[in-house]
Amino acid sequence: MKSANINTFPITATCPACGLLCDDIALENINHQLKVIKPNCAKTVAFFEQGSGENSPQIAGKPATLQSAILKAAEILKQARKPIFTGLGTDVQGFRALYNLSQKTSPGLSHMNAASMARNLKVLQSTGWQTTTLTEVKNRADLIVCFGSDLLNHNVRFFERFVDVDGMFVTAKDRQVIVLGESSNQAIKSDAMQAASVLPCRATDLPSITMVLRALVAGKQLKATEITGVKVSDLQTLADKLKAAKYAVLAWVAKDLDFPHAELTIQNITETLAILNKTTRAAGLPLGGSDGDTSANNANTWLSGFALNDDALNDKFSEHDAMLWINSFSPEKTSPKTDKPLIILGNINSQFEQTPDVFIPIATPGLDSSGTLFRVDSAVILPLKKVRENDLLTLSEIVREIEKLL
Amino acid sequence: MITLLKNGKLFDPARNKNGVVEDIYMCDGHIIAKPAGAEKISQTYDLTGKIVMAGAIDMHSHIGGGKVNIARMMLPEFRETIKYSEPEAHICTPNCAHNATPTTTETGFRYIEMGYTAAFEPAILPINARQAHLEMADTPMIDKGGYAMLGNDDYFLRLLSNNADQKAINDYVAWTLHATQAIGIKVVNPGGISAFKFNQRRLNLDENNVHYQVTPRDILKSLSRAVNELGIAKPLHVHCNNLGAAGNFQTTLDTMQASDGVALHLTHIQFHSYGLEGDKKFSSAAAQIAEALNKNKHITADVGQILFGQTVTASGDSMMQHLNAKYANPKKSVIMDVECDAGCGVVPFKYRDQNYINALQWAIGLELFLSVTDPWRIFLTTDHPNGAPFTSYPHLIRLLMDKTFRNEAFAKLNLDAQAMSNLPSLTREYSLYEIAIMTRAGAAKLIGLNNCGHLGAGAQADITVYTEQANKEAMFGTPDYVFKNGELVVKSGKVVKVVWGATHVTKPAFDIGVEKNLKPYFDKYHTIQCDNFKISDNEIADNGRGKIVVNTKGQ
Repeated sequence: MKSANINTFPITATCPACGLLCDDIALENINHQLKVIKPNCAKTVAFFEQGSGENSPQIAGKPATLQSAILKAAEILKQARKPIFTGLGTDVQGFRALYNLSQKTSPGLSHMNAASMARNLKVLQSTGWQTTTLTEVKNRADLIVCFGSDLLNHNVRFFERFVDVDGMFVTAKDRQVIVLGESSNQAIKSDAMQAASVLPCRATDLPSITMVLRALVAGKQLKATEITGVKVSDLQTLADKLKAAKYAVLAWVAKDLDFPHAELTIQNITETLAILNKTTRAAGLPLGGSDGDTSANNANTWLSGFALNDDALNDKFSEHDAMLWINSFSPEKTSPKTDKPLIILGNINSQFEQTPDVFIPIATPGLDSSGTLFRVDSAVILPLKKVRENDLLTLSEIVREIEKLL
Repeated sequence: MITLLKNGKLFDPARNKNGVVEDIYMCDGHIIAKPAGAEKISQTYDLTGKIVMAGAIDMHSHIGGGKVNIARMMLPEFRETIKYSEPEAHICTPNCAHNATPTTTETGFRYIEMGYTAAFEPAILPINARQAHLEMADTPMIDKGGYAMLGNDDYFLRLLSNNADQKAINDYVAWTLHATQAIGIKVVNPGGISAFKFNQRRLNLDENNVHYQVTPRDILKSLSRAVNELGIAKPLHVHCNNLGAAGNFQTTLDTMQASDGVALHLTHIQFHSYGLEGDKKFSSAAAQIAEALNKNKHITADVGQILFGQTVTASGDSMMQHLNAKYANPKKSVIMDVECDAGCGVVPFKYRDQNYINALQWAIGLELFLSVTDPWRIFLTTDHPNGAPFTSYPHLIRLLMDKTFRNEAFAKLNLDAQAMSNLPSLTREYSLYEIAIMTRAGAAKLIGLNNCGHLGAGAQADITVYTEQANKEAMFGTPDYVFKNGELVVKSGKVVKVVWGATHVTKPAFDIGVEKNLKPYFDKYHTIQCDNFKISDNEIADNGRGKIVVNTKGQ
């Protein structure tokens, strides 16, 4: 049993449930049940108030000892010639351990968010971009344009924490929010969102809309008066606002842009920023983030020299002969289907769509163990606390035991 | 357990030993005085005829933190450089992958293989310090540490703008050092990174930041005074305004005078030594800069030599990197505004010997090395990876020690550039003793490392052993032995044992009352809690793999 200061007084914690990593969470622990005192964020509540689960490893769906489960996992990995490590829902320390293990088994590494991460990565690797971070947004942004959605499905407290408040160089009432996309219609209170203008469109219309916006910001004249249901005059008004803003922030969540070649749409946004920055200041803000994706990408990058999911993973994925699924944070997310041996190192409340050959419950960083995560803007890295008592081992500890047997 | 290094020829400038044959005894990771007769010597290395120096110390190398990781992330092209050979490849050490942004593991290995036992990350963004330390924690073999960037952060600029007293500034500077686990303070384009966020595109030394109405000179004065009054050994590390701009040498000369005689270290000074003469309005001002350096004893500098080949420039100077982005090769860049704290600009670069400007940059760096007379005040750097990867140091050392080799290289340059440089008239050749000053004793003294950079009793037993060769590149690229904390870790230029070094910090005393103002400031304007900004000793200790060494001035 590891020691920790667990008590019934309010605990301040950091929430890993989305990329914002809010570190102002107040919790209380009553009779071993955590309760979120504030904020009122459904993701945060679901994360911290999740049950303590049944702490038993399994082999082929049957309870097993930890030792035999570790042995079985090592056996599967030893026999595999093309294993794949996927999910990768962990923190920096957990990823580091997985990376070390991968040096012995040379698997493909693919995060559960690989598809949406690739959309941003392709732009970064093609033209690069000009971006900003959350404290700059809070203090400087006088115009915020959201592409694809109002962001609230992904980052519930974005407006509450960074837009509805006065900043150093701009007051809340002097900010303007424009959404090019769909409102999520959530009952989330936000002054800025209530005052926001919405130019409704489907995400799949964004390739043409962002192309037109980019042209208008570049000063081009268009003959068309409408583009996929959006008036060109409205986009001209937006272009003029962007040029007049002191610090416009163009935000998007790559997960919302789920259509072929979405990277070209993101590039329209970032190249619009490049034009704006010739005369004024403006910056991009890729948001979203979950399941340690930013952490896994950063750690993989300094450990391997290159971005995560950067090699031809699709081949490795289809050809794999064993799968290791790692998922610390989101018990409801299940592994991809496979007809090969499946090992799951996961949250204690993990759900399964298929019975894994081996399941070992692991400590969730920020709940059952301490840890470290990158915020979605990569600029800020925060420590996570152990806030409830149990004897779950960390991913690193389990992986080290497996590694010893290889 | 005592190990004896017998009969080596010592180049140990901290103790005025210039090629003296002497024995060294090591015990428990340290160098000890000759033991009494009765004590048993467990192991003896016969170093007769070998050159012995302390482990080298790189006082400015971007080995950890957000910028270089962005560079790695955005450059899948570097998978190809592994296949490069000359002339595309940098002239590097034998095991080098010719990759300007090595992994953390490669960083540690390549350094120790060259006999370097410590490297310092010069640009830790305080808000991003945890990442810098995470990367350095994954860097094996060497000791590390870093300088925290201030001077573009809103909190400091507010203090200055509101005429806060110097004590308030000193407390904030000291608090930042503690919070970020750093050993020095750096300022990058003083006031300019902040000014860029208010849409200013250049900032001269006496020009106001439009919002805060303070000048770079004000910032330099205040920060250098804080560093001095707090008793931090490492002088304020200054990346001057106007990085890379033709004609910027005047800013550099003026910056030397900005601290009223308080010590300043001007970093990658090659990038700040450009004149406006000639048809192309780009010329060498190395002579003026070197003359001023020779005269102003309170100034130290490192060169930031460029060497030809593909690399990537990663800087906190978002203002100037935004201007430089048009020269990117491959054509892409990342520019970031960061947390009302700092900035970041990553621009890939390919230096070519047939390009007038690049060729002259190469010559300017060498002119500076050869014209600055005091090796205790000039340091060997390439501003890794900005001028070239650190793996080209043995090549650079040969350029300094071998004038025939240097002149042959010069003769291959762009002819217009040759016409604009006096390099062939500089016949100086660095001695082994001077190299040992620049890369060992001088660097340790500058940073304020209490027990590194020398071979006297009490020193950390970080020791490099070379075979003297006419080809100094071969000599410095492949040491016979490297000892880290007394253990043999490199033999014939290859790692034989993996070890983990310490993190060097300094922790000046300060008034913790500073947090009374910082906490509400964080709550109101930042997006994390003040407590989470601070990096604990435990995080560095990393379950026992890491270790903190606190260095104190004057010990």
